[in-house]
Amino acid sequence: MALRNDNLWYKDAVIYQLHVRTFYDSNADGIGDFPGLTQRLGYLQELGVSALWLMPFYPSPLKDDGYDIADYTSVHPSYGTVQDFKTFLNAAHDRNIRVIVEMVLNHTSDQHPWFQESRSSRDNPKRDWYVWSDTDTKYQGVPIIFVDTEMSNWAWDPISKQYYWHRFFSHQPDLNYDNPAVREAMWQVMKFWLDMGVDGFRLDAVPNLVEREGTRCENLPETHAIIKDYRRRIDLAYPNKMLLAEANQWPTDVISYFGLGDEFHMAFHFPLMPRMFMAVKLEDRKPIIDILEQTPPIPEICQWCIFLRNHDELTLEMVTEIERDYMYDTYATDKAMRINLGIRRRLAPMMENDRRRIELMNGLLLSMPGTPVIYYGDEIGMGDNIYLGDRNGVRTPMQWNGGWNGGFSAADPERLYSPVISNPVYGYQAVNVESQRRSEHSLLNWMRSLIQTRNLFQVFSRGSIEFLDPSNHRVLAYVRQLGGATVLVVNNLSSSAQAVELNLQRYKGHIPIEMFGRNLFPRIGELPYLLTLGPYQFYWFRLRRI
Amino acid sequence: MFLAFSSRAGEQAGNLAEDILLGDDFIRQLMSVGEVDLLIGIPSYNSAITIAQTVRAIEESVHQNFVRDRIVIVNVDGGSTDNTTEVFLESDRRKAFDRRGLTSLRTIHRVSWQYGKTPSLGMAVRTIVAAADLLRARSCAVVSSTTIDLTASWVTNLLRPVHKEKFEYVSPLYARNRYEGLLSRNLLYPMVRAIFGLRMREVYSGEWAFSGRLAAHYLDQDVWAEEPVRARPEGWLAITAMCSGYACCQSFLGQKGAPTVGGVDTVEAIRQTVGNLFWCMERYQEHWLDRVGSQPVPTFGPEHEILNNGAPSNPEKIFELFRTGVAELEPVLASILTQETHRQLNGIASEDAEKFRFGCELLVRALYEFAASYHHAVINRDHIVQALVPLYRGRLYSYLLQHAHSSVEEMQADSELLCLEFERQKPYLIEKWNAKS
Repeated sequence: MALRNDNLWYKDAVIYQLHVRTFYDSNADGIGDFPGLTQRLGYLQELGVSALWLMPFYPSPLKDDGYDIADYTSVHPSYGTVQDFKTFLNAAHDRNIRVIVEMVLNHTSDQHPWFQESRSSRDNPKRDWYVWSDTDTKYQGVPIIFVDTEMSNWAWDPISKQYYWHRFFSHQPDLNYDNPAVREAMWQVMKFWLDMGVDGFRLDAVPNLVEREGTRCENLPETHAIIKDYRRRIDLAYPNKMLLAEANQWPTDVISYFGLGDEFHMAFHFPLMPRMFMAVKLEDRKPIIDILEQTPPIPEICQWCIFLRNHDELTLEMVTEIERDYMYDTYATDKAMRINLGIRRRLAPMMENDRRRIELMNGLLLSMPGTPVIYYGDEIGMGDNIYLGDRNGVRTPMQWNGGWNGGFSAADPERLYSPVISNPVYGYQAVNVESQRRSEHSLLNWMRSLIQTRNLFQVFSRGSIEFLDPSNHRVLAYVRQLGGATVLVVNNLSSSAQAVELNLQRYKGHIPIEMFGRNLFPRIGELPYLLTLGPYQFYWFRLRRI
Repeated sequence: MFLAFSSRAGEQAGNLAEDILLGDDFIRQLMSVGEVDLLIGIPSYNSAITIAQTVRAIEESVHQNFVRDRIVIVNVDGGSTDNTTEVFLESDRRKAFDRRGLTSLRTIHRVSWQYGKTPSLGMAVRTIVAAADLLRARSCAVVSSTTIDLTASWVTNLLRPVHKEKFEYVSPLYARNRYEGLLSRNLLYPMVRAIFGLRMREVYSGEWAFSGRLAAHYLDQDVWAEEPVRARPEGWLAITAMCSGYACCQSFLGQKGAPTVGGVDTVEAIRQTVGNLFWCMERYQEHWLDRVGSQPVPTFGPEHEILNNGAPSNPEKIFELFRTGVAELEPVLASILTQETHRQLNGIASEDAEKFRFGCELLVRALYEFAASYHHAVINRDHIVQALVPLYRGRLYSYLLQHAHSSVEEMQADSELLCLEFERQKPYLIEKWNAKS
């Protein structure tokens, strides 16, 4: 089946994020691979997702889980071959699932041949492919991102006796985008994958491409110019592709990455995410309303990308100290849960395995404006292992069944790339796909139903949003509209039952139809519309005038 | 339609008719707020000019010091004809967002209700206390809508002892200029101290704080319809806390100037404050009749401050009013005071203005005789209280004359002597109080 010719497909997508290594091991070496992922495409199609975002699968020393790339145009042998990837890609397309791959523009591994050449001598032709300096005093004041492990953004190279710039780990030297050769080389990399048929790129760490003295070395005009050039080239030669920006910035800074619709198609709304968690804990809609009121409009063809959790720590960079302290005190009481400026836990443990809260958070994710990203395993409520290093605790093997290695691999458990979660609450015996498939009311089946419902109504993906302002601050209510379709979403953020009166006079005469059970609710009249909601309950209503 | 509200202690159908009535709209607003940690009440009447600043100070305090708490600010209005309520609800909604954060973690609720068509501080406070009880507020404060000196630190200093230090009643302390707060310094404080045994300086003030537990206790008392409580409830609130065993303290807020709106009418001020004090003495006599001496109250910040500035307002006029009042109220004073006290009073009233002295001993004796006469209701109680006004003016003039060139320390020392005189003569009060009328 050919993919639909739709240059706005990303607006309607439900994206599933996964690392091929974590998903399914087909050859019993303890590591997930592309043949294994190909075998599991049916599960993903059944779930209802329409796009996959794959974390880096390129050859790499794996000191940063693959974000330290040593070869951009190949596949790490542990995951398969380029042919395996092609097979997977075609199979995904056959199921109408698009594939977004990582493109780490900002830096390479120090094992990449480019860096090996660059550092070999100061006269090497590729010397200027990276950012070198005699001193470590340039670009003073630029914040360190991995504060738990790095002391400086400069690292000393004992081979060529100079410092090199790295915004991330010291084994990830930054490429020098002032060099046209670098820009061209990365374009060739993108072309390689575009020619193969990938549907889009998630551009990692994109704000950091360019450095300039006296700045934070983030969000510089030169960076935008580079991206716009890539976008122009992609639009010329490759229709229906998508660029997704990873720019962990304040909304007013992120919108510059959309340009005039000529730069990124999508960007993550990072500041919204922690505020969803805050709102549920505070039982107050204020954090969500405040951040969305501060979010400027974006070009018509662009889209925010929203998420609850991902492979990284739940970042608390875009919050104040007070908010960060609150998040730590409520969601990361054990210091082992904290890393850098964030929390390395999964959704279900953060919700204390409260099914209602998990549902509420997913309901918010799939009804708020933007393209939602579901992190692998969250659809079954997987847990985490905070005692694994770095952020590996949220990157454990997918739990398929209650058997050997959770059904992830036939290898000996000691051989697995990571131990499977095995405690009594979140362990694979308790939380796995197979048992949830058998239970009609499992979280997995509920998620399928939720995604399916969302997919039926384009109003969720492309509609406007208007927040209602009921006096009960524990209720977050909004109206989504697209053309003649109107959906009312009402969420109880509180742990106790709530009553709320909504001013729906504008919709007088409409009948609310609850979208999961399809039951009719009383017609909207002149008076405020009274609803009662159980703890953490939410409603999606179609408003129909009939 | 109004909903009946009943206290938690007495929810019986038979008592509904006597319960306070909170309007449907108010109840609906409170429902939306839900349980809170902090409730700050603002009684108002035609306060449109000043209430915005009050709200600003409260929200500033909350943003800085109570960021995680659930907060509601409740304005209870006595029928304002300016747009006090609108200003309260809309002023300074913080829309200027911080660069990388929010204005506050939680919604800070503002609830407003008009409790009547004429202002009554007692009704306003009753409403605030009822709201605090309904919302299960852990800590409460009442602040004046007309105090232009109110700052965020005032609110913080008022709330912190009850919210974070486990006290249950907080009385304010102020820095005043040497000629402000003289009624409190020369009469109310020394008398409250001697009678109730606690050195709480500002029992009749515009700001105070209390715990939710104490709020529930207030609500259960059957006094809200009494005129002394309707007019000046704060004295009764403080004295109730003292006499009922709640942990009381004082907290220094800052410099307090004279009220900007309405000024101070001496007759009304004495009528309300001293009338309330005498009424409280009546109500809590079993608590104070046996009490001897006084104890300090835990204090946050300086004990109090008298600033070495300001000027007295027209002392000559005050003296003239004193002499005139003593003369005109001759028969009334004769029925209140003993012969000896009355004679001495007439004696000083005939002195020259430059040499006038209204000594502590005579003043205290006279005040205690007034209190006893109030207790025995020798004449109409309101008339007794009003008859006190010329005596207070005399004392005031004497004080101004005596301290025209005194240092602040000398004034404070003199105030302390007055307090000790009240305590020394308390047996006399008890004797007169218990005497058969």
